[in-house]
Amino acid sequence: MTALRDNVKGGALTEVTFCILLSLYTPRHGYAIMQFIDEITHGRLMLGAGTLYGALTTLQKKGWIVPCKKTGERKKEYEITALGKEVAEKELLRLRELSHIADRIIGGEHHG
Amino acid sequence: MVKRCYRFYGGLLKSQEKWLNKMAMKGFRLKRVGKLLYEFEQCSPGQYEYRVEFIGQKSPSDSSSYRSFLEDIGYTVFCKNVNLNYSLGKVRYRPWAEKGARISTNTTTFNREILIVEKKHDGKPFDLHTSYEDQIAYYGSLRNPWLFIFLPLLVLVIFNTTYLNGALAILSLFPIVMYQTQIYRIKKKLRIKEW
Repeated sequence: MTALRDNVKGGALTEVTFCILLSLYTPRHGYAIMQFIDEITHGRLMLGAGTLYGALTTLQKKGWIVPCKKTGERKKEYEITALGKEVAEKELLRLRELSHIADRIIGGEHHG
Repeated sequence: MVKRCYRFYGGLLKSQEKWLNKMAMKGFRLKRVGKLLYEFEQCSPGQYEYRVEFIGQKSPSDSSSYRSFLEDIGYTVFCKNVNLNYSLGKVRYRPWAEKGARISTNTTTFNREILIVEKKHDGKPFDLHTSYEDQIAYYGSLRNPWLFIFLPLLVLVIFNTTYLNGALAILSLFPIVMYQTQIYRIKKKLRIKEW
């Protein structure tokens, strides 16, 4: 079982978790998730199949994602749940706030 | 042309992986496996890559869903035995396994402890375990079976010290030290890296 360090109360998801949640706003199967993450991070974050499998199992247990009901597609697809969306949105707020502060400090140095 | 090789690697996962990759570099692709048998067919050299993974701790349903997950991704998967045991009604107790996998029989997980995963070479890295947490969990699952071999031997040595018992105990300590060192190294990296 993969341990994920994600903490709902404290926010701060791991990058792997956040990327998986983002990828599942549209239903995707395993390989599509790997491709999506590879694309959005320009190959910086490459997920191994074993790691992805462990993460998907953990996220299902947390109730953040669910396997899709049969869509005719042979491969098993997953999608994000309402709870998962809540967690992802909270993370977005946290990141926004953080980048705002960083902008003020780092950006200020450059321009001001 | 079909090429047949008879080999037994047991718990030597890395050696098995290296050998399969060497065969692939020579232009042989794995077609079928038996307890000792590896059957290859010809392919162009370096067309395929192999990874060997231990899944003995997984429950029957978990290991079959993991297997189909890998196949959905586009890999070819072979099941392999870690022991050399030909009995038909085998039942084994595995205290180190996950819930639902502790009693292993021929019809469930016995003789299916290893996965050989084949990927068509596409220039991208082929690693099954990429996050540090996952690597720690994986090496832990490799170490634990050896703990349950070593500890009874240690008890035996304490009560009945013979050269044979001592030698077996020391032998079974090697993989534990090896995997533990790997876990320790990853944990150290995890402390330095923040994500």
